[in-house]
Amino acid sequence: MLNLNISPLTLKTLKRFRSVKRGYWSAIIIFTLIILSLVAEVFVNSRALVVSYEGELYFPTYGAIIPGEKLGLGYQYETNYRDLKEMFKKEDSQNWVLLPPFPYNAFETDLVKGFYPPTAPSFTSRHYLGTDTVGRDIVARLVYGFRIAIFFSLFLLVCNYIVGTTIGCLMGYWGGIFDLLFQRLIEIWSNIPFLYVIMIIASIIVPNFWSLLIVMLMFSWMGMTWYMRTATYKEKEREYVMASRALGAGTARIIFHHIIPNTVSIIITFIPFSVAGGITALTSLDFLGFGLPPPTPSWGELLRQGIENLQSPWIVSSIVTSMVLVLTMVTFIGEAIREAYDPKRHTIYE
Amino acid sequence: MNKIIFQLLYVFLFITLAGCNSQEGTVNVEENIQESTPVVETLSEYPVSELPEGLVWLTNDEDPIFSDPNARPGGTYREFLDSFPLTLRTAGPDANTGVYSYLLANQLSLIDIHPNTKNYIPSLATHWAYGDDNKTVYFKLDPKARWSDGKLITADDYMFSLDFNRSEYIVAPYRNNYYTNEITSANKYDEYTISVTGGTAKPKDDLLLYYAIGPTPRHFHKLDENWVRDYTWLIEPNSGPYQVSKVEKGKYIEFSRDRSWWGDELKYNKHRYNVDTIRISVIRDLETAYRHFLRAELDTFPITSPNYWYDKTEDDVFKNGYVQKIWFYNELPQPKVGIFLNLDNELFSDPDVRNGFAHSINIQQMIDSVLRGDYERAHSYHIGYGDYSNLNVRAREFDLELADQYFSKAGWGERGPDGFRIKDGKKFSVVLAYSTQLHTDRLVFLREEAKKAGVDLQLNLLDGATSYKNMIEKKHQAAWMGWGASLRPEYWQHFHSDNAHVPQTNNITNTDDPEIDSLIEKYNDSDDVAERSELSRKIQQKIHDIGAFIPTYYVPYIRQAYWRWLKLPEWYGTSLSDLVFDPTGLSIFWIDEEEKLRTLEAMENNESFEPVTIIDETYKVKL
Repeated sequence: MLNLNISPLTLKTLKRFRSVKRGYWSAIIIFTLIILSLVAEVFVNSRALVVSYEGELYFPTYGAIIPGEKLGLGYQYETNYRDLKEMFKKEDSQNWVLLPPFPYNAFETDLVKGFYPPTAPSFTSRHYLGTDTVGRDIVARLVYGFRIAIFFSLFLLVCNYIVGTTIGCLMGYWGGIFDLLFQRLIEIWSNIPFLYVIMIIASIIVPNFWSLLIVMLMFSWMGMTWYMRTATYKEKEREYVMASRALGAGTARIIFHHIIPNTVSIIITFIPFSVAGGITALTSLDFLGFGLPPPTPSWGELLRQGIENLQSPWIVSSIVTSMVLVLTMVTFIGEAIREAYDPKRHTIYE
Repeated sequence: MNKIIFQLLYVFLFITLAGCNSQEGTVNVEENIQESTPVVETLSEYPVSELPEGLVWLTNDEDPIFSDPNARPGGTYREFLDSFPLTLRTAGPDANTGVYSYLLANQLSLIDIHPNTKNYIPSLATHWAYGDDNKTVYFKLDPKARWSDGKLITADDYMFSLDFNRSEYIVAPYRNNYYTNEITSANKYDEYTISVTGGTAKPKDDLLLYYAIGPTPRHFHKLDENWVRDYTWLIEPNSGPYQVSKVEKGKYIEFSRDRSWWGDELKYNKHRYNVDTIRISVIRDLETAYRHFLRAELDTFPITSPNYWYDKTEDDVFKNGYVQKIWFYNELPQPKVGIFLNLDNELFSDPDVRNGFAHSINIQQMIDSVLRGDYERAHSYHIGYGDYSNLNVRAREFDLELADQYFSKAGWGERGPDGFRIKDGKKFSVVLAYSTQLHTDRLVFLREEAKKAGVDLQLNLLDGATSYKNMIEKKHQAAWMGWGASLRPEYWQHFHSDNAHVPQTNNITNTDDPEIDSLIEKYNDSDDVAERSELSRKIQQKIHDIGAFIPTYYVPYIRQAYWRWLKLPEWYGTSLSDLVFDPTGLSIFWIDEEEKLRTLEAMENNESFEPVTIIDETYKVKL
């Protein structure tokens, strides 16, 4: 179980993790990015942070839209805050607008007369990485695409590990027919070509975040079972398991309270690589057009646009750079964790 | 153990050697035909009827030729296909793929249409005459006409054509149906005189369009249950200028010009079909094919799409004038492209909602921005059908005020916190089904614009087959799709109540309106051109009034890039040119071999020519 007062062993592991500098810093950066992406609307958004109109303050970032007529523009649909800012500036009135640093959302098409998308990066238009083939801001697509990809991959990881660990542990703990049955089942199941299944499903229904997650879960829970099965086989012969059984603990208690905490190093070591795998999987599905439906911001879609439009290098270079950076950092974290949990360095057998 | 290794090595070697043997896939066409063609033992014979008296024989040799007397014969023209055809048959399963259009273009029909005057001109028939029943046409065949294997084309080949196309052995339900219900009989009067009769009376003008059939070589086809299998890779004798001469499966197909072709003597064939060889290579990816084109491994490339015409032609070969561009407007009937609303859907059963929705779709700005203003805004259902098209119908334009009026009338006046319209707590949300990844950009733009009108447009990309099934079974709410162009406007299948509310019919809007029904029935029964075109225009107005079809755009032109050694007449093309460079179609271009040498030399020496971009608007429809 989780101990509130950290055990010396955990402290040692943490210290070792911190000693691997690039892994440590990567972890800090990635976690910051994930947390920032949760409030991305504050940084990358077409809605203003604050609007002061005729003495009244508005905070449009979250919540219902503010129709243009409310802020003195003659239309019913959502206010275009960039235009509003220009207007206030021209009027030279007391009213003002505070825009986020990247004043575009991931869906709107920003078209300038006489220029056709994709448009090159520019400071004056505040498209710092240019626009894609429909005129959407690439920074916004990248940021919101990152949020979707990373959370997709985290959810997938949690679901995979819950299913995979449970089944793996049970296989190892019970052994016998159950083990044999699941081994064969997993062997057969892993041979079903995942990509074809996704293609078939995507042609029948429009996948959304959750349905795609479930389909991917169905075909990726198997990986973890083998490791957990082996580890459980090994652990269940140890004295502490025998002792708790003698004390009358049931299967669930023994597995979840005793075996899993003792095999946690296996699980943790795999996490970063699973995260990287999840991001890559979603990106490749989107790239092929079988992932999340348009106009969902997506790295895979951006990558495809980039490759189809090599004459607009800003698309392909921003997405490739982002992918390489994120995936490398995740891999660094993985390395550092593996180093921290290296049994050769700190496991002490009686 | 050693034995196993040796065996494996053997297998490996065998595979490698077999792979190296590139000759294996090449089919030497002549030998192949002689060896494997099933032998037709008894040629079908047909009874001779008596020719009715008083027929007025017509022909046409007065129209001007549309080819260029300066054209020079010779050279090899190179094109590409994205996949190798599954068969070289022109009938039966999988026939409508790959080289179908090339093969079909070389199977001539009884008569042809002049691509500029649109009058009928002789082809396999020299003369034609109309029967009194408005269902029958009589033809005098050209006695010089020969199959590519040298045998004469006679009346029996046309009679056999009906037997062939009605046969179950060819596994082609559409043909079976057409040659049974549309074309009901054919008669032979002597070796070179026949008649063809159809099921319904038609205006004279249309009779030839529908009933000018083509012959089928009866000495070649042995119709039995093995026909589909046996004839898959056989090359049928044809009546046109080019025959398949070389096939390497999976790689390329070559057509050769028959320099002793019987049709060369015909007036309208002079100076056409100039290249000696047409080589069609298989290149699976468009982008890769484009690279091949830039390396002069292909002679032309289609660049109709705006991103090709503008961005991808920024290459040096264009700037140095080695490759030229042409933008050529034509007058072809246009496919019916737009948004089809399902009237059986609760939301769209209300005409005010349909009108409000139509005013929320910003087609014009989508064309101006995403499509760079290159496509034309479509206003009605049938465009490019001459008098049959109603040019007075104007599509509903993007107009937030009008949209708001219509929506308010239908009870959708209120807006929710997210800006979308609501009624009884329900959001105004429309699922728009479409099937081409390429169109996502266009739809994403429309979606953003529709938000302004408070419409939540959900995009639903399905693969082609699923999407089609979804629509044909009327399960869609709104469909972004297009129907191909036809010879004449066809309304019954798309708008008659006979086809509404039942799956597997083409009335995907479920239009069910007694007024339009009676108009369509009159249109179908009429055999007078003037009356029919007037009815057609009325129906188009009615389609607009119902508002289940939102017209989007059409592309009344073709854009191609070509190496400068390809030469065109001064008039570039004709009003019916669907391609400027079509080696087996109208085929009025030619290859200048000297120019080719000059250009290749210039490329080696880094010399450049004046860049050329031709824009020809001769046949642009002015509204």
